[in-house]
This record gives sequence, C-alpha cells and structure tokens, in this order.
Amino acid sequence: MRKISTIFMFVVALGLFTSCDNNLDQLPFDEFATDNAFITAQDFENGIRGVYLQLTAGGFYGGSDAGSMLSAPDVMSDNATLSQYGRTTKRTLHNFQYNANSTLLGTYRNCYRLIYQANQILLYAESFEGESKDNIVGEAKALRALAHFNLVAYFGKIPTQSNDANSSLGIAYVTDADVTIEPSRMTVQETYAMILDDLLDAKSKINASNPEGRLNKNGVNLLLSRVYLYMGQWQNAIDAANAVSTQVAARANVVGVWEDTSEDGLVFWIPNDAPTLGNNIGVTWSQGGVTSLIPEYVASFELTNLYDDGNDIRKDAYIFAGSVTSQGITTNFNGIKKLFARPGGQPGVVDYKILRAAEAFLNKAEAYYNLGNESAARQALDAVRSKRYLTPPSGETGAALLDAIRLERRLEFAFEYQRFFDLKRWGLPVQRSNAGDVADGSGTPSDVLSLPAGSNKFQLPIAQESLDVNPNLQQNPGY
Amino acid sequence: MRYKLPFYLFLLLFQISFAQDMLISGTVIDDQGVPLPGANIVIKGTSTGTQSDFDGNYSINSAKGQVLVFSYVGFETQEITVASSNVINVQMAVGGTTLETVVITGYSRRSQTVTASSTVSIGAAEIAELSPVTSIDNLLQGKAAGVQVTAANGKPGQGAFVRIRGVGSLTAGASSPLYVVDGAVIDETDLAAIPNEDIENISVLKDAAQTAIYGSRGASGVVIITTKKGKRDSDGTVRFSSRFGVSSRIKPNFTMMNAEQKLQYESELFALGVSAAGNLPGVTTTPGSPERQFLLDHEVDWEDLILQQGIIQNNNVSFSGGSEKTDYFFSVGHDRNTGIIDQISGFERVSTRLNLGFDVKEWLKLSVTAGFSRSTSDEPRDRNNVQNPFRAYFDYNPYETEFLLDENGSVILDENGKPVYNPTHTTFNVRGALLSEPAFTVQNTWLASVSADVSLIKNVTYTFSTGLNATNNRFESYSKPGGILDSIIGDPNNPGNKLDTGNYNLDMTISNRLNYNLEAGKHTFDVVGLFEYNTNEFNGYRIRSIGFPSAELTTQSNSTQVTDWNTTRNILTLISYGAFANYDYDQKYLASASVRYDGSSNFGADNQFGLFYSGSLGWNVAKENFFNVNAVDDLKLYVSYGTTGSRAGISRYAPQGNVSYATYPGGLATNPSNLENPELKWETTTTQNAGLELNMFNNRFNLVTDYFIRTTEDLLFSVPLADESGFQSIAGNLGKIENKGLEITVSADVFRTSDFRWTLGGNIIFLDHEILELPDGEDVTPGSAFNILWREGAKINEHFLVRYAGVDPATGAPLYYGADGNKYRAFDLPEDEDENRVLQGKSTIADKEGGFFTNVKYKGFGLRADFVFKAGNWINNFVKSNLISDGFNIDDNQAVDAFNYWRKPGDTNVYPSPLISQDELGAINSDRFLEKGDYIRMRNITFSYDFADNVLDHLPFKSLRLYVQGQNLLTFSKFFGDPEVGISSGETISYAASVAPGEATLYSYPNTKSIQVGLDVSF
Repeated sequence: MRKISTIFMFVVALGLFTSCDNNLDQLPFDEFATDNAFITAQDFENGIRGVYLQLTAGGFYGGSDAGSMLSAPDVMSDNATLSQYGRTTKRTLHNFQYNANSTLLGTYRNCYRLIYQANQILLYAESFEGESKDNIVGEAKALRALAHFNLVAYFGKIPTQSNDANSSLGIAYVTDADVTIEPSRMTVQETYAMILDDLLDAKSKINASNPEGRLNKNGVNLLLSRVYLYMGQWQNAIDAANAVSTQVAARANVVGVWEDTSEDGLVFWIPNDAPTLGNNIGVTWSQGGVTSLIPEYVASFELTNLYDDGNDIRKDAYIFAGSVTSQGITTNFNGIKKLFARPGGQPGVVDYKILRAAEAFLNKAEAYYNLGNESAARQALDAVRSKRYLTPPSGETGAALLDAIRLERRLEFAFEYQRFFDLKRWGLPVQRSNAGDVADGSGTPSDVLSLPAGSNKFQLPIAQESLDVNPNLQQNPGY
Repeated sequence: MRYKLPFYLFLLLFQISFAQDMLISGTVIDDQGVPLPGANIVIKGTSTGTQSDFDGNYSINSAKGQVLVFSYVGFETQEITVASSNVINVQMAVGGTTLETVVITGYSRRSQTVTASSTVSIGAAEIAELSPVTSIDNLLQGKAAGVQVTAANGKPGQGAFVRIRGVGSLTAGASSPLYVVDGAVIDETDLAAIPNEDIENISVLKDAAQTAIYGSRGASGVVIITTKKGKRDSDGTVRFSSRFGVSSRIKPNFTMMNAEQKLQYESELFALGVSAAGNLPGVTTTPGSPERQFLLDHEVDWEDLILQQGIIQNNNVSFSGGSEKTDYFFSVGHDRNTGIIDQISGFERVSTRLNLGFDVKEWLKLSVTAGFSRSTSDEPRDRNNVQNPFRAYFDYNPYETEFLLDENGSVILDENGKPVYNPTHTTFNVRGALLSEPAFTVQNTWLASVSADVSLIKNVTYTFSTGLNATNNRFESYSKPGGILDSIIGDPNNPGNKLDTGNYNLDMTISNRLNYNLEAGKHTFDVVGLFEYNTNEFNGYRIRSIGFPSAELTTQSNSTQVTDWNTTRNILTLISYGAFANYDYDQKYLASASVRYDGSSNFGADNQFGLFYSGSLGWNVAKENFFNVNAVDDLKLYVSYGTTGSRAGISRYAPQGNVSYATYPGGLATNPSNLENPELKWETTTTQNAGLELNMFNNRFNLVTDYFIRTTEDLLFSVPLADESGFQSIAGNLGKIENKGLEITVSADVFRTSDFRWTLGGNIIFLDHEILELPDGEDVTPGSAFNILWREGAKINEHFLVRYAGVDPATGAPLYYGADGNKYRAFDLPEDEDENRVLQGKSTIADKEGGFFTNVKYKGFGLRADFVFKAGNWINNFVKSNLISDGFNIDDNQAVDAFNYWRKPGDTNVYPSPLISQDELGAINSDRFLEKGDYIRMRNITFSYDFADNVLDHLPFKSLRLYVQGQNLLTFSKFFGDPEVGISSGETISYAASVAPGEATLYSYPNTKSIQVGLDVSF
C-alpha cells in the first residue's frame, strides 16, 4: 500500500513538472501586434482616424487646463481677460509668465505624437497598394504638416515677423516613425520648406471629399494659403485660397454654426458626440450654465465693444451674457460662446471647428493688400463682411484698408486659435485695455496689459523636460 | 488547568529533602496558559537537564542556588534560581529575543541558531500589542533594522511604502517587497484584507541567502506572513479581543489665518499691488463697516466643519485547539474605522478564517488555510484640486460660509427647501460634494492554501502545495443628478454621472518540493528541489453612463446613455526550478547554497529565463571548546552572497509592439499602445552581506549587526525618449544602482526579576546609496515625480532645483543662486547653457531610519512605548508654498506665517515681499520650500494589565488583559506640517506609480492619532 501511494505521488509530481512550459508565451487580450494592424484598406482607414484622433488630445484642440492649441492663441492675446471668478487656469500664459518649467509642453508632446502616428502610417503605406493609398498618404502628410506648423508657430518665429525670423530657430521636423531619435531644431526657413513639401504632396494626393471629421483638398488648400501667408508668399497664398471651393457661411447661419445646427462654411471640423468623443472642450473658457457661470476667461471688454451690436451677427454668435450669483450678489460676464454648449446641451460639448472658408477670403484680402492690389483686397474682405453685417462697412483704402482687414480677421476668428499668431506675424505688440473682467468693464483687469513687439516671449520656451531628454535640443533665446 | 492546583499542593506535602539536592518540579505553560510539552529545562553550567512531559510537567534534581534555564522554541528563555521552594511553575512569554527564533522562509522553518543570515520575525504577541490602525505593513516600521516604512497617507486601510535595504529599483512598484501569505502571493495594496488577529508571524527576509530562494521576485526583500494554527492535543481555547477608540488629525505645527487676519492680509497685499486682491472682501469692505462685521459674525472654522473625530472599533473571536492528529483555528473579525472626514463612513472590514491540519496517514499530512475578507472604503477625492476635502479646509477663507446667506444672515433655501451650498471662491463646495459625489471601493479577498506532506522513503518527503489569492474589487463613483459637480459639468439633458469599475484578480501558485534530510552524528544536511508555477490573471471592467432619474437610483440600469465602457484581461506567468541546500556541523559551522532558474512571460522570447543563486557560511564561535567567555551565550559570524531578480514595474506585454483601438467619427482609430523591445530581460540584484549575532548574559543582551552591499543592474525602467519621438518612454533594461548599509539591532533586559522586567531595544539602519550607471551616462528625469533627477554618481531620488538664496534685504525680492554661485534676482539668472538647477545630495530617501522601544512589566502591569524615527530625507513642501504664497494664492486662505514678509529695507529672516511682481515671484522653481523630513514619533504607547492567576482562579477565564493605547501622540520635528509624507496627491501620482514616495507634500489624507481601550480574554 505504502509503495503504491509513493509511486502515485511521484507520477503526479512528474506530471506537474512537465506540464506548463509553454505557458510562458503570453499574448495580450486587449491589443495586438502592430504588424497585424496595417494590412488591409480598412486597417489604413482605422490608422488614419487614429492620427486624427490625436487632434482631440488635451494639448491640441482639446481643453487642457494647461493650455492648448484651442485656447492659448486667444489667452495670450487681447481677446480674453482672465476671470477672477474661475479657477484661474492658464494664468501663466495670460500673464506671459511662462518659462521652461511652465510652457505648452502638452501641446508639444501631442503634436509629436500625432506626427509619429502619421509617420507610422506612411511607413506601412509603402507596402500597401490599395486604391485608397494616395488619399491616406495625402491625409497623413497634411496632418503631419499641420502639427509641425502649429509647433513652429508657437515655439519659433514666423517668417514675416522680423527680418531675422527665417534664420532663427524653427523646430525639429520629424519624418520617420523611429522612437530613438534625438533631433535638433531646424531653422524657421527649413521648417516651413518641409511643411510646404508635405502640404503640396498632400494636395496632389488627397481626395476632393472625405468623410466627416477628415481633411480634404479644400482643407489642404486652406492650410497652404495660411502657410504661404505666414511666409509672406502673397501670390501663392491667393492661389491656394482660390482653390478653396467652400463658401463663407451665410449671415443667417452664423449663430447656427456655433450651436452645431449648421455646417455652413466649415472646411474641416470634427463631430464631438458621445460616445465616440463627447469631450468637454469648453471647460477651457468656462464651466456651469448661463446664470451659474464659472468663467475661466471672458471676452475682453474691448473686443466685446468692437462688435457692432445689432449689425454684426457675430456679437450674438460669439459672446453671451452670462452671470453668477454669490452671497446674494449677481455678477455679469461677457461669456465666450464659441465653445459654450449646444442649446440645452451638456456644457462645453460642441464640435471641433478647425478650418472655415472665411479664412480663405481674409487670407486673400491680406495677400492682395500686400501685393498693392487694394480693389481685389477689398473685394475679398467684403465677401466676408457682406455675410456678417446687416450694413457692412466698406470702401476703405490705404492704411485704413489694412486696419479693416486686420480688424475683420480679429472679429471673425476671435477664440479660434489665430489672434496671438496674427499679432506675432504682423510684428505687433499685444496691447490690452485696462478694463476688468465684469461685463461692464469693471472688476479686475488682466495683471499684465502688454507684451511689447519684439519680446522674446512671442516664442514660447521649450520645456525643460524636453531639453532634459534630448541633448540636441536648443532653448529659445531669453529663457 | 485549574484542577492541577491540588496536585501541586500534594507535591508540596511530599517534598523529599536531600542534603544538597532536592527534587524540583512544576509545570511549564505558555503565554495563554496552555501546558508546553517538550520544554527544555537545564541546570545552568551543567549538562544535566530534562524536558517537560505531555502535560507540561517536569521534575529535576537540583540544589539550592543553582539556576534553572527554561527554554522553548518561539518563547523567551527564562532563568530561575532555585530557592527554598521545590515547586517552580513557569509561564513562558512569546518573544523574539531568544536564540531559538524560528525563521520561516516560506519553503521551510528553521531555527535562527542554524541560519547564517539576518532575519526579522515578529510574533503574534507583539502584533497584538502594536495593533496598527491602518494596514499591517505600517506595523513593520521601526521593528526591523533595514526596513524603511513610509505611511502612504492616513486613510483608514491604506498601506505603506515598505523598502527593505534601500530602494532596489528605479521603477515604480518594483521596490516593494514580495508578500507571501501562507504560500500565496499578495499585492501590497491588498494587505488590509488580513486582520492582525489572524497573524501568527511576520518574517522579513532581507539577505540574499534567503531571498534567493524566491529567486525572481525576492530582489526587494520578502515578507512572509503566516496565519495562526491550533495547538495539537489541547483543549479548545476561545479568545476574544475588542478595541474601541477615537482618532483625529494630527494637529500641524502652524496656524491658519482667522477671518480678521485674512481680511487684513488681503487689504495689505492689495495696497502692495496684488491686483487679484481687488475683488476680495478685505478690500471691498472697510474695517468697522456693517459688511465687514457681517463677515466676522459668520466666521467658519472649515477644518472643524469638514473633519470629525473618527471612531475605531475592532472585535475578533477565535476558537483554536486540536487533538492528536488534527488542529484547527477559526476566527471571525470585524473592524471599523470611520476616518476623520465628516459626511462619509470610512473603512469597514469583516473577515473570517479557518485553518486546519490533519495527519491523514502516518506518511501523509494535510493542511488547509482559508480566509475571506470583505472591506468597504469610502474614497474621498485625493486630488490636488478643489474637490479634495483636505485641500478645501486650507483654501476656504474663514469668512466664507457653508451655505449661502441672505442679508440678514439666514440660510438661503432652494426650491425644494434645502439649504444652498456656498460654492466659495473655489467654485466648489466640498461639504455638499461629499454628499452628492459619493465614491467607494468594495474588496472581497479570498486567501487559501492547501498543502500535503508525503513521507516517501526514509529521509525523503514530497510536498505539494497551492496558494491562492483571489480578489474581487469594485469601485463606484456617482455624481448625483443635481449635485455639486453635476450642476457644473453635467449634461442638463442627461443629469447624473455614474462610473463603475472593477476587477477580478486571481493569483495561484502551484508548488512541488522534494525534501531530503540527513542527520548523521553531528552533521545535519537537507536539500530541497523545487518546481513551481505561478499565474496571475487580471480581468477588469469599466462602465460609465449619464442620465439618471433620481439621486436615489445609483446603478446603471436606469441611465439613458452609456458614455464609456471596456473590459480588459491580462495574464502573467512564472515557471521556476530550484534547489536549496543547508548544512550544519554541530550547530557550529553553517553553510547554505541555493540555485533557482525562473522564466517569466513578460520578457522577450529569448530572455524569459534568468538564473539566480546564493551561498552563505556561518560560524558560531561560542560553541567552540576554546571559546571560554562565560558571559557570551552565542557569537555567530556569517557572510553571504547571492543574486535575485525582478520583473516588476513593466507591463505584462512590455516587450511586444502592440496597438489598440479607440473611436473617432467614422469608426475605429488605431492607437500605438506599446513600443516594441524584445531585448527586455530580468533586472538582477546582487547582495553581499556580513553579519554578527551576539547573545550575552543568558540572553539578557542581544545584538545583531549586518553590513550589506546591494547592487542592482539591468534596471527595469521606463527609459525616457525624446519628446520629438512622439513618446515619453519605453520599457528597457539600463543602469545600475547600489545601496550600502549598516544595520544594528540591540535589545536588553535592563532589569529582570520574576516580578519586574524592563526591556529596552532599538534598531537603526545607516543607508548610503548611489546611482552607478545610467543609459549613455545621461541624466534621467523620471516620470511620476515632480523635481527628481537621476544622475550617475548622485544619490537615488535627489531633488533637482534652483537654490534659493533668501530675500534681498534691500528690495524684498527673492534671490537665487545661479550656476556660477552668485546671487541673482529671478530674471537676472544666467541664461547660458549652464543649468541653474543643482543636485545637492538631498534625496527623498532617509539615510538613517529605525525605531526603539521601552517595555516595562511589573507583575501584571505593562507599559510599552514604541518610537519610530527617520532622518536625512528631504521633502519639497508644496503645501507650505501654497499657504505662504507671497500673494499668488491671495484668494485662498493662508498660514499666519504669511504675514512675515519683507516690509522695509533691512528686513531679514522674512518671506519675499508681495510688492515684487507675481511674474518674478513665481518664475523660479527653487528649493525654497525644500525641508528636512527628520522626525521622531511615538508610534505607540500602551498601558496594560494582565490579571494574575490567583484572580483568574475566581473567574471563568484563562487569561484577561485590559489596555489603553495611544498612537502617534507625540511627534518631534521641525518640519512645517506633518513630516510623515508618502503620497503627495493620490490622483497626481498614485500609490502604485510613485517612484519617489515622500518627495513632496500635497493634500493626501492626513495622518491621524488615536486613543483606544481594549480587552483580550481567553477561556
């Protein structure tokens, strides 16, 4: 009996000794190998959507509290005033107090993440011969160009900004899906040349129309027009703008565009609906409801008054009368409406509008003006103004025309990621009024009222964290 | 046992008297009054001795004046001088100060006598005396030399950061020791599932000679927890213990401003140019005005309002005993700790355990352990923002009220007649949110093991065992419709927001061991062959939905829209082959060796297996014939060398390049989820150890000291990538670190008589650590830390900051040292390539840490105090920087100290003047708030009374103990605030992600002090 049991136990033991070696080869359940993910046409559709998805990241067009593409160009301008009634997010940006320890690091990282994913698609697309190849390559290159363009606009100078701009520090232009790189920064000129390369190639390959939430030929042409404008290549800017076929939104639709009931004039936008997205991007400007508003920023008193009330439809579309009541006292605000909410909807959840047709006309107006063709400039300007005002201003010439073009650009694209870059490329200072954060101009004004033209702070600092991990990366002067 | 007394009396009557010798007899019982069979009784200085019999009785011939030495494994050795009485009854006390300490290595139990390495063992009696308020890992603090413990925070049920012999890895989570409960591996975070009362022993293995047995996972030390068993051949014992107490926040050593002070501060700063103060009441109301008086009349003590006095309750019943061939231990326990936040319920645990042992056949022994516990814990937001109650009571101004008031000072009611919470200047009222935003965790834990010992042939046994740890966690958080958060960020069309996440986690170890034992003369030899398989499977889910009809409906069955969902699964496996051998010659010469070959599934296909080995030699000099120092009982010298591995801190599929999918309008969106690195392999730690163990004066004095050098290479960590790559890091094996240390443990019975005993003891580690190699010699800025930099040649986890040079007495501006060593104002700092930030040798890791205790026993009375201390670590005090913010946080309440700012030229020892622009004041991230974390804290003080036998004779009890205990009642520290800092802010850097615990203060759950009364009774 004893013997039998002994043998039995030995057998059990031996069985256990030899049974489970192959259990060491585990594959994941929630993900799979990258090589499996870029084979079919559907894979490339999924892949390119993955690149677009990066546009919605916090530091890109998402509503990061640290500032993003969505908010910083207005926070760092004369369009917005810091509210003392919110959480005072992005205060260092608003006050131009940023330094290497507090800068748009999230934006920097999100842009390069998008660039990696675009590069990854381009790498796999080399061995893909499906019908959709050109369109995918075109989209990937356009997105790669857009991300680099945003980066160089923040962290480098803009070619038209100053004489030394082209030879100053641009950014690293990355075209390989290689995570071991430690690139150094190109000059501004080299960076813009790479952006143009990508956009021109994209233009030749991308479809004339693509599904919602994706770029198409119009979008690429509009981007090209902006890039040329930033480079001071006026005729190219005009030609590219002319290639945009989308028309400026009709006056009757302007409010609807910002309430997500109209798509008039939109060239590139991303539907923001749960459960696909449904992100609260409006938190970047305010939280709460109309009468329980917690504004982070309000439309500056100066900007609010620039809209001709009753005449300019944008006053209703862009700014709303918000308020909050605390300890029995009601405070009124010039709330920023662009990202506020769909009527009755969840606060802050609206579509991402990234490119609009009006820009093509305002780019054109500015380019014509710089070429000395005032009538064509006026014509392009009026194409926008006629769809904004009941009785549009008209007939300016000379310096007044330039002022009108610049004013219209400010009014049209307030809170739409342009103002800081526009002031920067025009070589102008940021000059804020000393009105406060309350609707009637009382309350607390911004701490810092101006950023002089030529200040090094027009180029944001590279984050210390980025410098720490890439020894080849050079900081901007003055930080 | 009471019926034995007449028998002793009988013996007394018949004492036999020889000229010199007399027959001494008596009974040896254990601490619970149960007879101890097999206890050794030796006449000191002779070879004459005997053992107690089955009923604990003994008899021995001895002479008056001779000393009888009573010893038993696991109990303190006692010496009693023979006087005129020839009955000597002895009650043995459980204790760790004897040579006969049992070392439980998980695969074996060995006597400390024949172990050539340092181990720390904490027994049930001591655990009962220390009864930690939070988790049992907190109990290790100050108890074992070389074991550094930092309480994560004061949240009931929260674990601690335990580091054995320094930080052994640079990866988050990898520096925690391996925890094994009855053979089942358990996560550090799950330790709160085990009630203290069920624990028989906690053994801490530090040295490679022992941790190498755990090969792959022993690199950061091993903590072995053994649960209680019944005693064979004994009557059943029923044991009941109960505690009740109150807890509260440890009061900080600074004061916040009251309403009057804050209002004054606001107006002072506004006058200096802090424009943000302009709309604050200190400026908008004038002193003496009715508006100002209104504010003062409605002053609120926010700390008092948000916090409460916590209640701690603990009840545990156990039944244990056994017959000749079986033993059993059964327990049921209930713990409750409400915590110190008003409005929520804190932590609660119910637990039960059944441990059984059977001798099935002469050749087959079985043992089964099974424990279940269920704990629930409320989860207040541990986040560095307005939703955190522990931040709120600092930020809210004392003139802000809980509810909105009308001009008469009456509370404003909403349309439902409920008071309307005041959003305060932070826009968020925590008092209301604690009710409208409930969040809690439920954890069910099953811990079980089965083992079978089979005697195969002579000297050979086979052991089959399985250990199982199954946990089932559920976390729910609800933003009630119409609640504080919902009304700010909710969707008005779909009010309310509910999140359910949870996981089912199974860890199973199957172990096969063949054991060969040989005792031949003075040679003792054993060797164990091991084959073991471990698998850990994790299954998780997450669902969020919005749109709830009522705040009372909390499950997602009634929601309108699901907005977020997933299920996840992952598996990690480990296969181990091992052989361990031990040898001793007459307990004089000791040797051991081990080898272990482990394969893990989370390494590259060609790098799955790693080989680990160890060896040790020991020599007990006192056992040599030539050694003739009477006072010395033992003098053991030992050395060891060994390697261990680690696979912790990387993901389960880390070597593989993978993608996952998200959604984007139009369909799926590919997301690169993991970067490929097939070279990924084991991190390896090599430990050299030399030690000495000295026992003197019949074990009244004990000293253990060890010196170790511990080197870890092929460190597993997230190797930083350039941001331009699109990623921040990739899992890799790079770098090398070293920890060196001297550990000293001393204990001594200063007085020892039959009635009175005073024991003093303590331990300390002197730790020295250095980063020897980093990838390409480049500095590394770790993620999940604030301002830590790793540099070759520097200590681990040094703060990397610009040096603050104080306030310029002429201008009131803050000054900083530039890279060139000169003082500058913020904007004048040198801007060239030179880095102004420096490493100053100031690490987050304490270089001296330990504990000491004093324990006085007089008859039944006991007074014990345990202290813990830590020195040499530096903490970046962010909370202080927020409370003394130079006007930057003028809308938040401030510490009274903030008034001490520069006012006129010549002022020194002051804070910078708010006159200086906020731009300049906030520009530099400096070491201005970097403070020494040194402290000594009285962790525990207990006054107890054990009823004497003669009293118990009249009571139906075997033992009865009453005690009063205080925890954390005294702290000595110069730190601003509480120096015991673990987690800064749990949602900024979580417990699991922390690479530098204690780097900075933020607003995590504060540590608490408590006073409890308790009773232990057995019958």
